[in-house]
Amino acid sequence: MRATYVLKRLLQIIPTFIAVMVIVFLLVRLLPGDPASAILGDRATPEIIERTKRELGLDRPIPVQFLLFAERLLHGDLGESSSLKVPVLRLVAERLPVTLFLTVYAAVLGVILAVPLAVLAAVRRNTWVDSLIRGIFQVGLSLPVFYVALQFLTLLGAKLAWFPIGGYGEGLGGHLYHLFLPALTLGFNLAAILLRTLRSAILEVLTAEYVEFARSKGLKSAVVMSRHVLRNAMISTVTLLGLNVGALIGGAVITESVFAIPGVGRLMIDAIFGRDYPVIQGLTLVFAVLVSLVFLVTDLVHARLDPRVEHA
Amino acid sequence: MNRFVRMTLAVGATLALTQALAVTRGGTLVYGRYADSLFLDPVLNDANLDIWILTNLYDTLLQPSSNGKGVQPGLATNYTVSSDGRSLKLTLRPGIKFADGSAITAQDVKWSLDRARKPDNGDWSGSLASIDSITASGGTVTLALKRPDPTLPAALATFNAAIMPQKLFEAAPGKNDAEKAKAFAEKPIGSGPFVLSDWKRGSSMTLKRNPYYWKKGADGKALPYLDAIRFEIIPDDNTRILKLQSGEIQGAEFIPLARVNELKANPKLNMQLFPSTKVNNILMNNRPKLNNGSANPLSDVRVRQALNYATNKDALIQIVTYGTGKPMKSYMSSTTPLYDTTQKGYPYDLAKAKQLLAAAGFANGFEVSCLATSGSADDLALLTALQQMWGAVGVRLKIEQLDAASKTARYRANDFQMRTAAWTNDINDPSQITTYYAIYDNVESVHTGFKNAELEKIFAQSQQETSRVKRAAQYRQIQSIYMNAAPIVFLYETPYPVALQKNVKGFVQIPLGNNIFTETYLDK
Repeated sequence: MRATYVLKRLLQIIPTFIAVMVIVFLLVRLLPGDPASAILGDRATPEIIERTKRELGLDRPIPVQFLLFAERLLHGDLGESSSLKVPVLRLVAERLPVTLFLTVYAAVLGVILAVPLAVLAAVRRNTWVDSLIRGIFQVGLSLPVFYVALQFLTLLGAKLAWFPIGGYGEGLGGHLYHLFLPALTLGFNLAAILLRTLRSAILEVLTAEYVEFARSKGLKSAVVMSRHVLRNAMISTVTLLGLNVGALIGGAVITESVFAIPGVGRLMIDAIFGRDYPVIQGLTLVFAVLVSLVFLVTDLVHARLDPRVEHA
Repeated sequence: MNRFVRMTLAVGATLALTQALAVTRGGTLVYGRYADSLFLDPVLNDANLDIWILTNLYDTLLQPSSNGKGVQPGLATNYTVSSDGRSLKLTLRPGIKFADGSAITAQDVKWSLDRARKPDNGDWSGSLASIDSITASGGTVTLALKRPDPTLPAALATFNAAIMPQKLFEAAPGKNDAEKAKAFAEKPIGSGPFVLSDWKRGSSMTLKRNPYYWKKGADGKALPYLDAIRFEIIPDDNTRILKLQSGEIQGAEFIPLARVNELKANPKLNMQLFPSTKVNNILMNNRPKLNNGSANPLSDVRVRQALNYATNKDALIQIVTYGTGKPMKSYMSSTTPLYDTTQKGYPYDLAKAKQLLAAAGFANGFEVSCLATSGSADDLALLTALQQMWGAVGVRLKIEQLDAASKTARYRANDFQMRTAAWTNDINDPSQITTYYAIYDNVESVHTGFKNAELEKIFAQSQQETSRVKRAAQYRQIQSIYMNAAPIVFLYETPYPVALQKNVKGFVQIPLGNNIFTETYLDK
């Protein structure tokens, strides 16, 4: 049952993929400017621009360009970056792990921050503890990411020198160390979103009859909290986490720039400013697949937490 | 020689010796760049991100001198031009080698220059277009010229004329020159002071010392002093500065001018403002009609002059460049060879501006729009200041913000009235900027549409004039004609702002922008 569901969902990615492929192909060509002009800057003469367009295959009719793009894609080839002159797949292979590492790291930190604090806020609801926790995260949510990032950098990086200022580091330990501040920046933001939902979900569940029943059975409150309350309260939070992690994959642009992290977010921004069609197309497709996969995993976890959800 | 002179010489020699002994060898310099290089082939690239570091990897026959005004020996010890100006002979330095230890031959030189001057091979072949044929024999290379070319020594000191190893390049995989260049540029072997050892695109690039580099240091041993340079890519200005302040990196380029004074006050840092060839200006559309068919007040030279008089450059230099700039007095920077020091530029003179506008029939002013790069704090500061300044003579300036690629697209289509612009030279000669700014047939005088027959005639003569004195006189005329016609709004020159740790010595960014690490060392 579950295997067929997963297979069905995986097959559903194909039409999404094709739709994204067509839309992004056309959209990049609607942008003013073109790769030849962007590579060559202001100075190039019309002849040089024409020559470069020819070299990039941009002189051909758009349907022909699309067919060539589709044909290469069938062979697993995303084309070559027009500005960096290397295969897009290689760029993705170099940069994507960095962003995925950061995303997972941020999600883990976000959950580690949000869950205990949400429980605390719910249990001590309407006390100063609750107000303080909610206040801090409300402020965190309303501050722009680059501002939070710079504050972390200035305080924890430059002043206290606990963490390096930007970069990616070498090896697992190096990555964990170097990416702590950017992951905290993103995780803090994520925690702020999760905390609100989780707190109100816990409050709702706490009043449910089965919780009363569990308590009256004489179960310890920690057990009640973890087994009965959290498990049920997490359901909506997991969906929210999934949605936000999906957004993080392509959306860590500002964080990647501030912390000098060579991830796909920065690559995408450079590609858009440089009108690097193959990179924009390739990355968008990769994002589409990843986001679809994250949503699939979210649904599976959701179903596991809530047996009422049917895989139809 | 009297005793005083002898004593002075002795003291001088002692000082020089002390300095030579003080040079420290070894270590890795970590340098923060705002963006990564794109493509490391000298012939086929055209981005400052590449050009400004290429000379560390690839040496040229001649090199730009560090004051930007001339050339100095490189792989060639000297050059001579024949009396009729039709041939240029270069003597190669004996014993020169590529970074893999193989000898640099006259044939490598011939092949490299032939590749660089092949029409349609890259955008720079024009700089070597006067070469008719090249002969290589033993230690000399002779260039036979189609016409006398005073710009050729400077062209031979420019990145695209880098000497590359023919055998290694041809052995690189690929069907044609472009494919081989891509493969070769992944791990290039040149003869510059450094050689690429590791490149993590978008993150870091490491250059190792080339043990075969020919130039000797102050201690008599081969340069460079450093074992390695690691470029770290840190796009965010604040982060780059924080990393420098915390000591994680030893140098950082493109410090925002707004922060120069703050870093100057930091006792741990050495805030350098290297003289550059950068001129910042506003290009005006000089055509009688705009693309939408409406009449264009900027086609009247009096209007263009009036806007120049109404521009308070000293105030702009304070507002936009925080006092680091200086007024433009010619279309070329004052660091460009043959810059005419007698040029006056346009002083701030509101009365004259009003008078010129009235004479042109715009006593009540007019509305004009200027394209700006969105997200550029400098553009916005500049244009809002100009709104105030020009408002005083009735000119209402509209600001239109576009991302760089869209702005370039509009500019290329001549679909603009004004746009913000900046320029740096790539070659130590005034002909490059002149070709772009003042000669119509290249890119319509940077798309202003400016065309002046007399200027173009003098320029054509100057391109074959071998007497430097006569050429300087021609350039004085060219600069005067251009200044009078005012196709652009002349603003200011700005330096290259680089911040270094105090112990970093001997680094220079030359006016062309090239970062020279050859004699850089980390003081103990």
